[in-house]
Amino acid sequence: MASISSRRLRKELTEITTQGCPVGIKLLNADNFETWLFSIEVLGETLYQGEVFKLMFRFDSQYPISSPAVQFVVDNEFQAPIHPHVYSNGHICASILGNEWSPVLSVSAVCVTLQSMLASCKVKERPQGNDQYVRYAPDNPKKTRFHYDGKHHRV
Amino acid sequence: MTQTSRPPSPPRLKTTGLPDDQPEDDHDVFMSEQPATFLSGHPILPEDMDIRDLMPSQLYEMNQNLLNESVPQKPLIDELASMSVLREEYEHGSASFLRQIDYLTKDGYDCVRRTRGDGDCFYRSVAYAFVERLLYSPDPTMAVGSALSQIESTLPMLTGARFDPFVYEDFMECFTTLIQSIVVPDREGLTLTPQSLLDAFQQPESSNSIVVYLRLLTSAQIRADPDAYAGFLHDPDNYMELQLETFCQHYVEAVGKEADHVQIAALSRALKINVKIAYLDGRDPQEVGKVDFHEFIFADDTTSSSLVLLYRPGHYDVLGRSSSRI
Repeated sequence: MASISSRRLRKELTEITTQGCPVGIKLLNADNFETWLFSIEVLGETLYQGEVFKLMFRFDSQYPISSPAVQFVVDNEFQAPIHPHVYSNGHICASILGNEWSPVLSVSAVCVTLQSMLASCKVKERPQGNDQYVRYAPDNPKKTRFHYDGKHHRV
Repeated sequence: MTQTSRPPSPPRLKTTGLPDDQPEDDHDVFMSEQPATFLSGHPILPEDMDIRDLMPSQLYEMNQNLLNESVPQKPLIDELASMSVLREEYEHGSASFLRQIDYLTKDGYDCVRRTRGDGDCFYRSVAYAFVERLLYSPDPTMAVGSALSQIESTLPMLTGARFDPFVYEDFMECFTTLIQSIVVPDREGLTLTPQSLLDAFQQPESSNSIVVYLRLLTSAQIRADPDAYAGFLHDPDNYMELQLETFCQHYVEAVGKEADHVQIAALSRALKINVKIAYLDGRDPQEVGKVDFHEFIFADDTTSSSLVLLYRPGHYDVLGRSSSRI
């Protein structure tokens, strides 16, 4: 029997391919049940008008009981959005990817949440301590012990 | 979705004052569920945190994490142990706990099945006790049939909670397949035994899937009748009242979040079961060793017995009587 993880991802993928992604999100690659890539842009009048970002989801065998590792891709073509919760290496500090993750959330739901995180941004700036974080950051953002700042930091 | 009102405090590097060589006036702590460190070997610690600023639940979580990390082999749910094993652990501790343990033993509750303290212990305990009772039922076919039809009948509530079917169906199937296997042999011709039941609950994928299903069911029940729970939805950290959506998302659906009265009542109601919880909490003003039982009565059948759990502050285990299994 297929694992819970691959059964669930197969269903999510079917939904994405039959019903389409949320507006502003495009599936770039989902050839396996380990890594999926999306492009993401924020529509309407926001600080990120005209910018397109690339999102990477990595799933372990515990998905969806454990959260996916989600980050913006930084390469020759793409940069991480300049946002107080996004480090320049693409790591995102968001409680729904950490201690507020629940199996009710899905890949689509995470995309929409990140879109609205960008849409509500008032000031384009990197998190405090960005350089220091990026210098020592692990490859997988799930290995970072982010400190979600209580009531002020829930996205 | 909650908007952020200010930027997060950033993670910072810390190379001194780590737990092993902590100076007296320095109480930095780890604040995450991920027991991992930087590749460089430097963990990120919020330097502005002070242990005195922590909420009781955060302290509890931290202790629990430390405990789990130091005892990595502790099973998700354990073999049945004699109450005397639990008693030994309190022998040098509080006398009121000892009196309460003796009270329970005298009352016939002479064994305990312990669960890992991972925040899912209530759901795991209930699930285990639920299936075990079906397994020991004098008429398993009847008992399994009525349990499955009760579970089936909660489907409209799950869709009513606007969960996508893919969110709950695999988890639900995991639970119903296990229950079914009490009476219907699997592909190898085997039906559920006490040992294979324990195996299923010790195996993380099936065990955690069942926990998630019960969490979704609990959340759906709360969402289906908000008036019944309004006024009781509190943030466990500060007792501030929460919106139903926030409460369900962060304190019911998210794994690893401990259950309290609201969740216990909602789950008992959804499954139509009676749950009885013995409070081993050291609160014993008369020093007679009395233990309070909290009962959640939702079974239609008035002769239905209760699933009995043992509560110690922040943790649930299954409480049992050895005599009832012989």
